[in-house]
Amino acid sequence: MSEVSRHREGEAAEIASLLEKIQAGDREAFMTIIRLYQQKVFVMAYSILRDREDALDAVQETFLRLYQKAGLYRPGNSFQGWLLQMAKNISIDAYRKHQRKRREWETTRPLEEIPVAAEPARTGDSAAADLRSAFARSVDTLAERQKMVFVMRHYNELQFSEISEAMKISIGTAKSLHFKAVQNLRKRLAPVLGIES
Amino acid sequence: MSMRKMTKAEWAAFLSGDREEGRRRIMGEHIEKSPGWQAEAAAIERLLKETEAVKAEIREAAASVNWDTLPAMIADRALAAGVQARRNVADSPRWGWLASFPLKPVLAGLAAGLVVGAAAMYFTLRAPGVRRGQDNAYYASGDFLDRAELEMARRNTLDYLEKSQYVLLDVFESADEGPVVPPALRSERARDLLQKKKYLNAQLERFQMAKAKVLCDQIETLFLELSQLDEELSAAELGRIRGFVEERQLLLKINLVKKELQSGV
Repeated sequence: MSEVSRHREGEAAEIASLLEKIQAGDREAFMTIIRLYQQKVFVMAYSILRDREDALDAVQETFLRLYQKAGLYRPGNSFQGWLLQMAKNISIDAYRKHQRKRREWETTRPLEEIPVAAEPARTGDSAAADLRSAFARSVDTLAERQKMVFVMRHYNELQFSEISEAMKISIGTAKSLHFKAVQNLRKRLAPVLGIES
Repeated sequence: MSMRKMTKAEWAAFLSGDREEGRRRIMGEHIEKSPGWQAEAAAIERLLKETEAVKAEIREAAASVNWDTLPAMIADRALAAGVQARRNVADSPRWGWLASFPLKPVLAGLAAGLVVGAAAMYFTLRAPGVRRGQDNAYYASGDFLDRAELEMARRNTLDYLEKSQYVLLDVFESADEGPVVPPALRSERARDLLQKKKYLNAQLERFQMAKAKVLCDQIETLFLELSQLDEELSAAELGRIRGFVEERQLLLKINLVKKELQSGV
Protein backbone atom coordinates (compact mmCIF):
# COMPACT_ATOMS: atom_id res chain seq x y z
CA MET A 1 0.00 0.00 0.00
CA SER A 2 1.42 3.39 -1.01
CA GLU A 3 2.09 6.24 1.39
CA VAL A 4 -0.63 8.34 -0.26
CA SER A 5 -3.37 5.69 0.06
CA ARG A 6 -2.36 5.02 3.69
CA HIS A 7 -2.64 8.74 4.39
CA ARG A 8 -6.06 8.87 2.68
CA GLU A 9 -7.34 5.91 4.69
CA GLY A 10 -6.17 7.51 7.92
CA GLU A 11 -7.88 10.75 6.96
CA ALA A 12 -11.12 8.92 6.06
CA ALA A 13 -11.10 7.09 9.40
CA GLU A 14 -10.58 10.38 11.21
CA ILE A 15 -13.49 11.98 9.34
CA ALA A 16 -15.71 8.97 10.05
CA SER A 17 -14.88 9.22 13.75
CA LEU A 18 -15.63 12.96 13.78
CA LEU A 19 -18.96 12.37 12.03
CA GLU A 20 -19.92 9.74 14.61
CA LYS A 21 -19.20 12.22 17.36
CA ILE A 22 -21.24 14.88 15.55
CA GLN A 23 -24.18 12.48 15.48
CA ALA A 24 -23.82 12.14 19.24
CA GLY A 25 -24.00 15.95 19.51
CA ASP A 26 -20.26 16.62 20.04
CA ARG A 27 -19.80 20.36 19.50
CA GLU A 28 -16.02 20.20 19.38
CA ALA A 29 -16.00 17.52 16.66
CA PHE A 30 -18.43 19.61 14.62
CA MET A 31 -16.23 22.68 14.97
CA THR A 32 -13.20 20.65 13.86
CA ILE A 33 -14.96 19.61 10.67
CA ILE A 34 -16.03 23.21 10.03
CA ARG A 35 -12.48 24.48 10.56
CA LEU A 36 -11.16 21.89 8.10
CA TYR A 37 -13.58 22.58 5.27
CA GLN A 38 -15.10 26.05 5.74
CA GLN A 39 -12.83 27.80 3.23
CA LYS A 40 -13.33 25.15 0.56
CA VAL A 41 -17.08 25.40 0.99
CA PHE A 42 -16.85 29.19 0.85
CA VAL A 43 -14.92 29.10 -2.44
CA MET A 44 -17.54 26.79 -3.92
CA ALA A 45 -20.43 28.99 -2.74
CA TYR A 46 -18.76 32.23 -3.78
CA SER A 47 -17.94 30.83 -7.24
CA ILE A 48 -21.62 30.29 -7.83
CA LEU A 49 -23.16 33.21 -5.96
CA ARG A 50 -20.44 35.84 -6.47
CA ASP A 51 -21.49 37.61 -3.30
CA ARG A 52 -19.67 37.45 0.02
CA GLU A 53 -22.73 37.54 2.29
CA ASP A 54 -24.71 35.07 0.21
CA ALA A 55 -21.69 32.77 0.13
CA LEU A 56 -21.35 32.98 3.92
CA ASP A 57 -25.03 32.12 4.30
CA ALA A 58 -24.52 29.13 2.03
CA VAL A 59 -21.51 28.03 4.12
CA GLN A 60 -23.60 28.14 7.28
CA GLU A 61 -26.47 26.33 5.60
CA THR A 62 -24.12 23.63 4.30
CA PHE A 63 -22.69 22.89 7.74
CA LEU A 64 -26.13 22.99 9.37
CA ARG A 65 -27.25 20.40 6.87
CA LEU A 66 -24.12 18.37 7.54
CA TYR A 67 -24.98 18.43 11.25
CA GLN A 68 -28.44 17.05 10.49
CA LYS A 69 -27.33 14.50 7.91
CA ALA A 70 -23.95 13.34 9.23
CA GLY A 71 -25.38 9.83 9.50
CA LEU A 72 -26.03 9.69 5.76
CA TYR A 73 -22.36 9.85 4.81
CA ARG A 74 -21.13 6.52 3.42
CA PRO A 75 -17.58 5.73 4.51
CA GLY A 76 -15.45 4.86 1.52
CA ASN A 77 -16.70 7.81 -0.53
CA SER A 78 -14.89 11.11 -0.54
CA PHE A 79 -16.13 13.24 2.34
CA GLN A 80 -14.94 16.41 0.64
CA GLY A 81 -16.80 15.43 -2.52
CA TRP A 82 -19.96 14.75 -0.52
CA LEU A 83 -19.71 18.04 1.39
CA LEU A 84 -18.97 20.08 -1.73
CA GLN A 85 -21.90 18.48 -3.50
CA MET A 86 -24.11 19.62 -0.64
CA ALA A 87 -22.57 23.12 -0.82
CA LYS A 88 -23.06 23.21 -4.59
CA ASN A 89 -26.74 22.24 -4.32
CA ILE A 90 -27.41 24.79 -1.58
CA SER A 91 -25.60 27.52 -3.54
CA ILE A 92 -27.47 26.74 -6.75
CA ASP A 93 -30.78 26.84 -4.85
CA ALA A 94 -29.82 30.18 -3.33
CA TYR A 95 -28.70 31.49 -6.71
CA ARG A 96 -32.04 30.55 -8.29
CA LYS A 97 -33.93 32.11 -5.40
CA HIS A 98 -31.98 35.34 -5.83
CA GLN A 99 -32.58 35.32 -9.56
CA ARG A 100 -36.32 34.87 -9.00
CA LYS A 101 -36.42 37.63 -6.40
CA ARG A 102 -34.50 39.91 -8.71
CA ARG A 103 -36.94 39.24 -11.55
CA GLU A 104 -39.88 39.89 -9.24
CA TRP A 105 -38.27 43.06 -7.97
CA GLU A 106 -37.65 44.26 -11.48
CA THR A 107 -41.22 43.58 -12.56
CA THR A 108 -42.86 45.18 -9.52
CA ARG A 109 -40.64 48.28 -9.18
CA PRO A 110 -41.43 51.43 -11.15
CA LEU A 111 -39.24 51.67 -14.22
CA GLU A 112 -37.41 54.80 -13.05
CA GLU A 113 -36.21 53.00 -9.88
CA ILE A 114 -34.46 50.21 -11.77
CA PRO A 115 -30.78 50.93 -12.41
CA VAL A 116 -30.29 50.74 -16.11
CA ALA A 117 -26.60 51.62 -16.23
CA ALA A 118 -23.95 49.02 -15.52
CA GLU A 119 -22.37 49.13 -12.09
CA PRO A 120 -19.16 51.13 -12.02
CA ALA A 121 -16.05 49.01 -12.25
CA ARG A 122 -14.32 48.41 -8.95
CA THR A 123 -10.82 48.57 -10.40
CA GLY A 124 -9.26 51.42 -12.25
CA ASP A 125 -8.66 49.55 -15.46
CA SER A 126 -12.05 49.61 -17.15
CA ALA A 127 -11.02 47.33 -20.04
CA ALA A 128 -9.88 44.66 -17.60
CA ALA A 129 -13.05 45.12 -15.59
CA ASP A 130 -15.13 44.73 -18.76
CA LEU A 131 -13.28 41.55 -19.64
CA ARG A 132 -13.73 40.17 -16.14
CA SER A 133 -17.42 41.03 -16.22
CA ALA A 134 -17.82 39.43 -19.66
CA PHE A 135 -15.96 36.37 -18.48
CA ALA A 136 -18.15 36.06 -15.37
CA ARG A 137 -21.31 36.44 -17.46
CA SER A 138 -20.09 33.83 -19.92
CA VAL A 139 -19.32 31.34 -17.15
CA ASP A 140 -22.77 32.07 -15.74
CA THR A 141 -24.46 31.25 -19.03
CA LEU A 142 -22.74 27.88 -19.44
CA ALA A 143 -24.90 24.79 -19.10
CA GLU A 144 -25.14 23.95 -15.40
CA ARG A 145 -22.92 20.86 -15.43
CA GLN A 146 -20.29 22.53 -17.59
CA LYS A 147 -20.32 25.52 -15.29
CA MET A 148 -19.97 23.38 -12.17
CA VAL A 149 -17.05 21.42 -13.57
CA PHE A 150 -15.34 24.60 -14.71
CA VAL A 151 -15.87 26.30 -11.34
CA MET A 152 -14.67 23.29 -9.38
CA ARG A 153 -11.64 22.82 -11.58
CA HIS A 154 -10.46 26.41 -11.81
CA TYR A 155 -11.81 28.20 -8.73
CA ASN A 156 -11.84 25.35 -6.23
CA GLU A 157 -8.78 23.80 -7.87
CA LEU A 158 -10.18 20.30 -7.42
CA GLN A 159 -8.82 17.21 -9.17
CA PHE A 160 -11.09 15.59 -11.75
CA SER A 161 -11.48 12.61 -9.42
CA GLU A 162 -12.81 14.95 -6.71
CA ILE A 163 -15.09 16.70 -9.20
CA SER A 164 -16.48 13.36 -10.34
CA GLU A 165 -17.27 12.41 -6.73
CA ALA A 166 -18.84 15.76 -5.95
CA MET A 167 -21.01 15.67 -9.07
CA LYS A 168 -21.61 11.92 -9.09
CA ILE A 169 -20.32 11.56 -12.64
CA SER A 170 -17.45 9.60 -14.13
CA ILE A 171 -14.00 11.15 -14.42
CA GLY A 172 -14.29 10.90 -18.22
CA THR A 173 -17.57 12.83 -18.17
CA ALA A 174 -16.03 15.47 -15.92
CA LYS A 175 -13.14 15.93 -18.36
CA SER A 176 -15.48 16.04 -21.33
CA LEU A 177 -17.70 18.66 -19.63
CA HIS A 178 -14.61 20.70 -18.81
CA PHE A 179 -13.49 20.62 -22.42
CA LYS A 180 -16.93 21.68 -23.64
CA ALA A 181 -17.01 24.50 -21.09
CA VAL A 182 -13.65 25.80 -22.29
CA GLN A 183 -14.73 25.54 -25.93
CA ASN A 184 -17.96 27.41 -25.25
CA LEU A 185 -16.20 30.12 -23.25
CA ARG A 186 -13.68 30.47 -26.03
CA LYS A 187 -16.45 30.93 -28.57
CA ARG A 188 -18.38 33.42 -26.49
CA LEU A 189 -15.38 35.47 -25.46
CA ALA A 190 -13.61 35.46 -28.84
CA PRO A 191 -14.67 39.04 -29.68
CA VAL A 192 -13.67 40.36 -26.25
CA LEU A 193 -10.38 38.54 -26.18
CA GLY A 194 -9.64 39.53 -29.77
CA ILE A 195 -9.15 35.95 -30.93
CA GLU A 196 -10.55 34.12 -33.90
CA SER A 197 -13.83 32.37 -33.23
CA MET B 1 2.02 13.76 -34.56
CA SER B 2 0.31 15.25 -37.58
CA MET B 3 -2.11 18.14 -37.46
CA ARG B 4 -5.04 15.81 -38.16
CA LYS B 5 -4.17 13.54 -35.27
CA MET B 6 -4.68 16.33 -32.72
CA THR B 7 -8.29 15.46 -31.92
CA LYS B 8 -10.81 16.98 -29.54
CA ALA B 9 -10.05 14.20 -27.09
CA GLU B 10 -6.36 15.09 -27.25
CA TRP B 11 -7.20 18.71 -26.56
CA ALA B 12 -9.48 17.76 -23.70
CA ALA B 13 -6.76 15.60 -22.20
CA PHE B 14 -4.19 18.31 -22.70
CA LEU B 15 -6.40 20.95 -21.10
CA SER B 16 -7.30 18.76 -18.16
CA GLY B 17 -3.65 17.95 -17.52
CA ASP B 18 -4.52 14.31 -17.96
CA ARG B 19 -1.41 13.24 -19.81
CA GLU B 20 1.82 11.85 -18.51
CA GLU B 21 4.77 14.22 -18.69
CA GLY B 22 6.33 12.67 -21.82
CA ARG B 23 3.09 12.85 -23.75
CA ARG B 24 2.46 16.43 -22.63
CA ARG B 25 5.92 17.40 -23.80
CA ILE B 26 5.33 15.86 -27.23
CA MET B 27 1.98 17.62 -27.50
CA GLY B 28 3.60 20.90 -26.40
CA GLU B 29 6.27 20.52 -29.09
CA HIS B 30 3.59 19.77 -31.65
CA ILE B 31 1.64 22.87 -30.68
CA GLU B 32 4.81 24.97 -30.92
CA LYS B 33 5.49 23.73 -34.44
CA SER B 34 1.96 24.31 -35.74
CA PRO B 35 0.91 27.98 -35.98
CA GLY B 36 -2.78 27.04 -36.00
CA TRP B 37 -2.63 25.07 -32.79
CA GLN B 38 -0.27 27.64 -31.31
CA ALA B 39 -2.91 30.31 -31.80
CA GLU B 40 -5.54 28.03 -30.33
CA ALA B 41 -3.42 27.26 -27.29
CA ALA B 42 -2.67 30.95 -26.81
CA ALA B 43 -6.40 31.78 -26.98
CA ILE B 44 -7.26 29.16 -24.38
CA GLU B 45 -4.36 30.25 -22.21
CA ARG B 46 -5.60 33.83 -22.34
CA LEU B 47 -9.10 32.69 -21.56
CA LEU B 48 -8.04 30.65 -18.57
CA LYS B 49 -5.97 33.55 -17.28
CA GLU B 50 -9.26 35.26 -16.63
CA THR B 51 -9.98 32.65 -14.00
CA GLU B 52 -7.07 34.13 -12.08
CA ALA B 53 -8.97 37.38 -11.78
CA VAL B 54 -11.98 35.56 -10.36
CA LYS B 55 -9.75 33.58 -8.04
CA ALA B 56 -8.22 36.82 -6.84
CA GLU B 57 -11.72 38.15 -6.19
CA ILE B 58 -12.58 34.98 -4.21
CA ARG B 59 -9.34 35.27 -2.22
CA GLU B 60 -10.16 38.89 -1.46
CA ALA B 61 -13.65 37.97 -0.26
CA ALA B 62 -12.33 35.04 1.78
CA ALA B 63 -9.70 37.22 3.41
CA SER B 64 -12.38 39.45 4.86
CA VAL B 65 -14.10 36.57 6.67
CA ASN B 66 -13.24 35.83 10.28
CA TRP B 67 -12.63 32.09 9.97
CA ASP B 68 -11.80 31.71 13.68
CA THR B 69 -15.23 32.74 14.93
CA LEU B 70 -17.33 31.21 12.15
CA PRO B 71 -17.13 27.57 13.39
CA ALA B 72 -18.39 28.49 16.85
CA MET B 73 -21.21 30.54 15.37
CA ILE B 74 -22.33 27.73 13.08
CA ALA B 75 -22.01 25.13 15.86
CA ASP B 76 -24.19 27.26 18.17
CA ARG B 77 -26.83 27.61 15.46
CA ALA B 78 -26.73 23.88 14.70
CA LEU B 79 -27.06 22.87 18.35
CA ALA B 80 -29.87 25.36 18.91
CA ALA B 81 -31.65 24.08 15.79
CA GLY B 82 -31.13 20.49 16.98
CA VAL B 83 -32.66 21.23 20.39
CA GLN B 84 -35.56 23.03 18.70
CA ALA B 85 -36.09 20.10 16.31
CA ARG B 86 -36.15 17.59 19.21
CA ARG B 87 -38.61 19.84 21.07
CA ASN B 88 -40.81 20.04 17.97
CA VAL B 89 -40.77 16.26 17.63
CA ALA B 90 -41.71 15.84 21.29
CA ASP B 91 -44.49 18.43 21.03
CA SER B 92 -45.88 17.25 17.73
CA PRO B 93 -49.04 15.16 17.84
CA ARG B 94 -48.80 11.43 17.18
CA TRP B 95 -50.05 11.75 13.62
CA GLY B 96 -48.25 15.03 13.02
CA TRP B 97 -46.16 13.51 10.27
CA LEU B 98 -49.29 13.32 8.14
CA ALA B 99 -49.43 17.09 8.08
CA SER B 100 -46.16 17.19 6.14
CA PHE B 101 -47.64 15.28 3.20
CA PRO B 102 -49.62 18.13 1.64
CA LEU B 103 -46.33 20.05 1.42
CA LYS B 104 -44.79 17.37 -0.73
CA PRO B 105 -46.41 17.44 -4.18
CA VAL B 106 -44.74 14.24 -5.34
CA LEU B 107 -46.06 12.27 -2.35
CA ALA B 108 -49.47 13.87 -2.67
CA GLY B 109 -49.54 12.98 -6.36
CA LEU B 110 -48.46 9.43 -5.60
CA ALA B 111 -51.14 9.03 -2.95
CA ALA B 112 -53.81 10.44 -5.26
CA GLY B 113 -52.65 8.09 -8.02
CA LEU B 114 -52.93 5.11 -5.69
CA VAL B 115 -56.45 6.08 -4.63
CA VAL B 116 -57.62 6.63 -8.22
CA GLY B 117 -55.93 3.42 -9.36
CA ALA B 118 -57.49 1.39 -6.56
CA ALA B 119 -60.94 2.83 -7.34
CA ALA B 120 -60.52 2.06 -11.05
CA MET B 121 -59.43 -1.51 -10.24
CA TYR B 122 -62.44 -1.94 -7.96
CA PHE B 123 -64.96 -0.79 -10.54
CA THR B 124 -63.28 -2.71 -13.36
CA LEU B 125 -62.66 -6.03 -11.68
CA ARG B 126 -65.57 -6.46 -9.27
CA ALA B 127 -67.70 -9.52 -10.07
CA PRO B 128 -70.99 -8.78 -11.83
CA GLY B 129 -74.33 -10.10 -10.58
CA VAL B 130 -74.95 -11.09 -7.00
CA ARG B 131 -73.26 -8.86 -4.43
CA ARG B 132 -71.81 -9.97 -1.18
CA GLY B 133 -74.41 -10.01 1.59
CA GLN B 134 -77.30 -10.72 -0.77
CA ASP B 135 -76.35 -14.40 -1.19
CA ASN B 136 -76.16 -15.12 2.51
CA ALA B 137 -79.70 -16.68 2.45
CA TYR B 138 -78.50 -19.45 0.13
CA TYR B 139 -75.47 -20.35 2.05
CA ALA B 140 -75.23 -23.94 3.38
CA SER B 141 -72.29 -25.78 4.81
CA GLY B 142 -71.00 -29.00 3.25
CA ASP B 143 -71.88 -30.91 6.40
CA PHE B 144 -75.50 -29.74 6.25
CA LEU B 145 -75.78 -30.73 2.59
CA ASP B 146 -74.41 -34.21 3.38
CA ARG B 147 -76.97 -34.71 6.10
CA ALA B 148 -79.76 -33.50 3.79
CA GLU B 149 -78.70 -35.98 1.11
CA LEU B 150 -78.58 -38.84 3.64
CA GLU B 151 -82.06 -37.92 4.71
CA MET B 152 -83.24 -37.92 1.10
CA ALA B 153 -81.67 -41.35 0.57
CA ARG B 154 -83.48 -42.73 3.62
CA ARG B 155 -86.82 -41.35 2.51
CA ASN B 156 -86.35 -42.59 -1.09
CA THR B 157 -85.41 -46.06 0.17
CA LEU B 158 -88.43 -46.11 2.48
CA ASP B 159 -90.67 -45.07 -0.37
CA TYR B 160 -89.15 -47.72 -2.66
CA LEU B 161 -89.58 -50.45 -0.07
CA GLU B 162 -93.15 -49.43 0.68
CA LYS B 163 -94.17 -49.40 -2.98
CA SER B 164 -92.36 -52.70 -3.54
CA GLN B 165 -94.26 -54.16 -0.62
CA TYR B 166 -97.58 -53.13 -2.20
CA VAL B 167 -96.63 -54.70 -5.52
CA LEU B 168 -95.54 -57.95 -3.83
CA LEU B 169 -98.73 -58.09 -1.73
CA ASP B 170 -100.70 -57.48 -4.88
CA VAL B 171 -98.95 -60.41 -6.53
CA PHE B 172 -99.74 -62.63 -3.55
CA GLU B 173 -103.39 -61.57 -3.43
CA SER B 174 -103.68 -62.19 -7.15
CA ALA B 175 -102.35 -65.67 -6.57
CA ASP B 176 -104.98 -66.34 -3.82
CA GLU B 177 -108.15 -64.61 -5.05
CA GLY B 178 -107.60 -63.60 -8.66
CA PRO B 179 -106.28 -60.21 -9.91
CA VAL B 180 -107.19 -57.24 -7.66
CA VAL B 181 -105.04 -54.80 -9.59
CA PRO B 182 -105.07 -55.11 -13.35
CA PRO B 183 -101.93 -56.94 -14.52
CA ALA B 184 -100.99 -54.08 -16.85
CA LEU B 185 -100.94 -51.65 -13.95
CA ARG B 186 -98.87 -54.09 -11.82
CA SER B 187 -96.28 -54.42 -14.58
CA GLU B 188 -96.17 -50.66 -14.98
CA ARG B 189 -95.58 -50.22 -11.24
CA ALA B 190 -92.78 -52.81 -11.38
CA ARG B 191 -91.14 -50.92 -14.27
CA ASP B 192 -91.45 -47.62 -12.35
CA LEU B 193 -89.82 -49.21 -9.35
CA LEU B 194 -87.04 -50.56 -11.54
CA GLN B 195 -86.41 -47.03 -12.80
CA LYS B 196 -86.43 -45.70 -9.28
CA LYS B 197 -83.98 -48.35 -8.16
CA LYS B 198 -81.44 -47.12 -10.72
CA TYR B 199 -81.56 -43.69 -9.10
CA LEU B 200 -81.51 -45.25 -5.62
CA ASN B 201 -78.37 -47.33 -6.27
CA ALA B 202 -76.05 -44.32 -6.12
CA GLN B 203 -77.53 -43.09 -2.86
CA LEU B 204 -77.39 -46.53 -1.21
CA GLU B 205 -73.73 -46.88 -2.17
CA ARG B 206 -72.75 -43.40 -1.16
CA PHE B 207 -74.20 -43.65 2.34
CA GLN B 208 -73.14 -47.25 2.81
CA MET B 209 -76.67 -48.52 3.56
CA ALA B 210 -75.55 -52.11 2.95
CA LYS B 211 -78.52 -53.95 4.45
CA ALA B 212 -81.09 -51.89 2.56
CA LYS B 213 -79.06 -52.25 -0.64
CA VAL B 214 -79.00 -56.09 -0.47
CA LEU B 215 -82.75 -56.12 0.06
CA CYS B 216 -83.44 -53.64 -2.71
CA ASP B 217 -81.21 -55.64 -5.07
CA GLN B 218 -83.26 -58.80 -4.38
CA ILE B 219 -86.51 -56.92 -4.96
CA GLU B 220 -85.07 -55.52 -8.16
CA THR B 221 -84.27 -59.01 -9.43
CA LEU B 222 -87.83 -60.02 -8.72
CA PHE B 223 -89.33 -57.01 -10.46
CA LEU B 224 -87.07 -57.53 -13.43
CA GLU B 225 -88.55 -60.97 -13.75
CA LEU B 226 -92.08 -59.63 -13.22
CA SER B 227 -91.69 -56.97 -15.90
CA GLN B 228 -90.47 -59.59 -18.40
CA LEU B 229 -93.27 -62.00 -17.79
CA ASP B 230 -96.56 -61.86 -19.64
CA GLU B 231 -99.18 -59.55 -18.26
CA GLU B 232 -101.42 -62.53 -17.42
CA LEU B 233 -99.30 -64.55 -15.00
CA SER B 234 -99.96 -68.23 -14.91
CA ALA B 235 -100.59 -69.93 -11.55
CA ALA B 236 -97.25 -71.68 -11.90
CA GLU B 237 -95.39 -68.43 -12.43
CA LEU B 238 -97.18 -66.80 -9.52
CA GLY B 239 -96.34 -69.77 -7.32
CA ARG B 240 -92.67 -69.58 -8.30
CA ILE B 241 -92.54 -65.87 -7.46
CA ARG B 242 -94.31 -66.41 -4.21
CA GLY B 243 -91.84 -69.18 -3.37
CA PHE B 244 -88.98 -66.84 -4.11
CA VAL B 245 -90.44 -64.12 -1.83
CA GLU B 246 -91.14 -66.53 0.97
CA GLU B 247 -87.83 -68.26 0.66
CA ARG B 248 -85.99 -65.01 0.94
CA GLN B 249 -88.45 -63.70 3.52
CA LEU B 250 -88.61 -60.55 1.52
CA LEU B 251 -91.74 -59.10 3.12
CA LEU B 252 -90.35 -59.62 6.60
CA LYS B 253 -87.05 -58.10 5.64
CA ILE B 254 -88.87 -55.15 4.06
CA ASN B 255 -90.69 -54.50 7.32
CA LEU B 256 -87.51 -54.76 9.39
CA VAL B 257 -85.49 -52.47 7.16
CA LYS B 258 -88.41 -50.02 6.98
CA LYS B 259 -88.54 -49.88 10.77
CA GLU B 260 -84.81 -49.31 10.96
CA LEU B 261 -85.00 -46.52 8.41
CA GLN B 262 -88.01 -44.94 10.11
CA SER B 263 -86.27 -44.91 13.47
CA GLY B 264 -83.40 -43.04 11.80
CA VAL B 265 -85.67 -40.41 10.24
